[in-house]
Amino acid sequence: MGRRKKIVQECERLMDEPEHIRNIAIAAHIDHGKTTLTDNLLAGAGMISEDLAGEQLAMDTEEDEQERGITIDAANVSMTHEWEDTNHLINLIDTPGHVDFGGDVTRAMRAVDGALVVVDAVEGTMPQTETVVRQALREGVKPALFINKVDRLINELQEGPQEMQQRLQGVIQDVNELIRGMAEEKYEEEGWRVSVEDGTVAFGSALYNWAVSLPSMQATGIDFGDIIEYNRSGEDGIRELKEQSPLSDVVLDMVAEHFPNPLDAQPERIPTVWRGDADSDIANQMQAVDEDGEVVFMVTDIGMDPHAGEIASGRVFSGTLERGQDLYVSGTAGTNRIQSVGIFMGGEREEVERVPAGNIACVTGLRDSIAGSTVTSVEMTPFESIEHISEPVITKSVEAQHMDDLPKLIETLRQVSKEDPTIKIEINEDTGEHLISGQGELHLEVITQRIERNQGIPVTTGEPIVVFREFPRDASDVVEGISPNRHNRFYISVQPLSEELIELLKMGDASNDMPELERREALMEAGMDKDTALNVEHIHGANILIDDTKGIQHLNETMELVIEGLGEALDDGPLAAEPVEGALIRLHDAKLHEDAIHRGPAQVIPAVREAAHNALIDGRIALLEPIQNVRIDVPNEHMGAASGELQGRRGRVDDMYQEGDLMVVEGIAPVDEMIGFASDIRSATEGRASWNTENAGFQVMADNLQTETIMEIRERKGMKTELPVTVDYF
Amino acid sequence: MLTFVGLGLYDERSVTIAGREAIAAADRVVAEFYTSKLVGTTIETLESYHDTEIERLDRQAVERGPESILQAAATSDVAFLTAGDTMISTTHVDLRLRATARSIQTRVIHGTTAQAAASSLTGLQNYRFGKATTLPFPYAHGGDDVPQSVTETITANQDRGLHTLVFLDIKADREEYMRASTASELLATVLDDETVAVAVCRAGSPEPTVAADRLGALADRSFGEPLHLLVVPGSLHHMEADALTTLAACPAELVEPSH
Repeated sequence: MGRRKKIVQECERLMDEPEHIRNIAIAAHIDHGKTTLTDNLLAGAGMISEDLAGEQLAMDTEEDEQERGITIDAANVSMTHEWEDTNHLINLIDTPGHVDFGGDVTRAMRAVDGALVVVDAVEGTMPQTETVVRQALREGVKPALFINKVDRLINELQEGPQEMQQRLQGVIQDVNELIRGMAEEKYEEEGWRVSVEDGTVAFGSALYNWAVSLPSMQATGIDFGDIIEYNRSGEDGIRELKEQSPLSDVVLDMVAEHFPNPLDAQPERIPTVWRGDADSDIANQMQAVDEDGEVVFMVTDIGMDPHAGEIASGRVFSGTLERGQDLYVSGTAGTNRIQSVGIFMGGEREEVERVPAGNIACVTGLRDSIAGSTVTSVEMTPFESIEHISEPVITKSVEAQHMDDLPKLIETLRQVSKEDPTIKIEINEDTGEHLISGQGELHLEVITQRIERNQGIPVTTGEPIVVFREFPRDASDVVEGISPNRHNRFYISVQPLSEELIELLKMGDASNDMPELERREALMEAGMDKDTALNVEHIHGANILIDDTKGIQHLNETMELVIEGLGEALDDGPLAAEPVEGALIRLHDAKLHEDAIHRGPAQVIPAVREAAHNALIDGRIALLEPIQNVRIDVPNEHMGAASGELQGRRGRVDDMYQEGDLMVVEGIAPVDEMIGFASDIRSATEGRASWNTENAGFQVMADNLQTETIMEIRERKGMKTELPVTVDYF
Repeated sequence: MLTFVGLGLYDERSVTIAGREAIAAADRVVAEFYTSKLVGTTIETLESYHDTEIERLDRQAVERGPESILQAAATSDVAFLTAGDTMISTTHVDLRLRATARSIQTRVIHGTTAQAAASSLTGLQNYRFGKATTLPFPYAHGGDDVPQSVTETITANQDRGLHTLVFLDIKADREEYMRASTASELLATVLDDETVAVAVCRAGSPEPTVAADRLGALADRSFGEPLHLLVVPGSLHHMEADALTTLAACPAELVEPSH
């Protein structure tokens, strides 16, 4: 029997012992060494050859990942590790560090109970470290910290024990600030604060395959002085250190000791991630990790296998997955039959007989599932839609070069949006010019390359276009909307929503499908007054319709049309037909025709749409554009050029400071201006700058650019290139 | 001058003589057939019958852009034609008000309307009708298959012993006309299917069909070409009961005169 086969068998045995299972994710900023760490953990567990670890990048299975040297899709592996004389099954989800792929991170977090936060000792916590740690904490996932690349402190920065410890303390403090900010109660009372003393912090070098933690130092007697010594005595020293204190033992010990097993985790996490009836049988089965209960499988990722087809992977919260089961997929009718059940071992899928509750599984046959689906043996309340703070900010058109490829392209685009719900697809079968929207230039580039390479469909893509929003800045007067037959009238006003409320709506924390009472409480907590919250009729994107009317006959059966008309008004705003956000729309009064036929769609929809647009214009609606936080690390002599690149893009430099031997420039800039930044900054700094960006929401575009930009968009969309005459404020 | 001319119920010959003379005297003749339609004729036949050109207007032109009609009416004679009567159920009072606001003279020349036929073909007395309602196609409105207001109108009339005229939806641009059987089937989902109703089909044609029965039974029948309407009777006067059995073949056990 091969070694690998033995490991698979051991995994299968351990799957039935939830107390010995840990489901974890590794979360980090790009280039902080997450994939190398994963590979060396795998090597330590005997999954891949040690010589290849660090070179092989086993988790980076897509060709383009290996080319780019970054990880794009979250992939899963299972491995075993002995801790305190007992074998443990560790299910690990790798997550991408590049923020363009943030959707994958959030989804991974929902499936795990512990997050190993990896931070580069030299660079410290970065904007994206914050983003991923926030994502983990929001999903109720417990953090532990691995500080990587400690060898660089010794070899490159020549730091002594004192300086090193100071620097490491700084990193720990930053991470703890984050944890306390997001999860104060757990931080203060449940030991979520990471600390060397508790053993929830480890240090080391993923590349050179060694690590230490307080427990390991106590066991081996190695102290910081020794580490410096080993590192300074060349290859032999490092090999010695690696043998004395191997990375995988130290890190996996920490994982086994400090991350909760499913039995401890699920009772607490189910109420965080699931909104169904807490006293129902199924809630009890999930909390109890009942392998004999109903099957509840939450899909966090859809991958493609050239032979097996679509592979859905995710967490089994209750019941046991087996081949041949007919399971319901949330949001679709009917059932799908499971074709095969398996676990991931590195880049490869291993089929197994069954995967019980508490584990990460991958299955084939769930044709209707998408990343985020709830798959169950009985119909039940699905897990809430997976929250993801990033919304698409950039759009590109995709066209097949050959007419024959058209149907295949449409199918592939649908597939892509199934695999990655942060991608939005607009299929236009009339023009053949489809739109694909995502998190950034790179995100879309990767997707289109995959279409070309994996599906062999040559495509033509348009220039990337930024996604805009329209936002009312003031409260409007009450505006009258009259139906074309003039027998129906609607009285509507708008006012801007507060930032807190917009955030709440974008996060999906107040939505149409929530129980009314719960939604009202969420809205009031975010600052909405009680009278308004009581009259919430509908939520459309980040906009709310308030019905302030009282006892108007027939309004109840007309409301659906009012909502439809409002939806049209909000999807295509009055300025440039871009989506409206942040509007609180009040319906004050309505006068309706007696007969349903005279207040049908042809009457109500245009009346409401026109009233809403006029109210928005009266509320001085303006264009919002997406902005990004930008951080550039650059040698001193190129700093002027680097900050010039930022300022030249309508950007703002907020901070400049020295970090190690580099200067850091921090600021913000509009996404629109950041298109093409990569090559410009490279040539401006002779390729010496490293930089990263993070989407930072939308902001009102400067008044002097509004008209010009609106006209550009209108022209692109084939609209009249003149503003409604009532827009007289720009 | 803007003259509203009702063309009556069925074909080119349903118009009154006064209406025909008004059309002949007009400098410009416009018509709309999106609210109803003369199923027994075509616009070409109408044109040759009246020996004039008739401009067909869509909803957009009447509701959004009546400007050209009004301008023409300010300086010349314009005839505005619809099936039935121009002011019953068709909401054109708006156009008359707009014209009056501009000091344009207006007049109305009546046509027979479904409202009249509902009473005269069934023998149900016009004194005993309550509010009328329209049953829309389920796709054409927001809400349930049968709008609550339709059900409420019928039951409120029934409570007071009154008849309800139920107009059936017309989507002229899609050539869709709701049949009495479809309407009965829809109403049977919200009313007791023992409820009696009267189907009135092709009123104004040489061979109109009038049939009274339970909703459930009407739903299974076929009444042929449009247009159809439905009446849901309230309590029955003895003359009305006689009329339904004699003129609408109503099964005898369904009619019990209440006074």
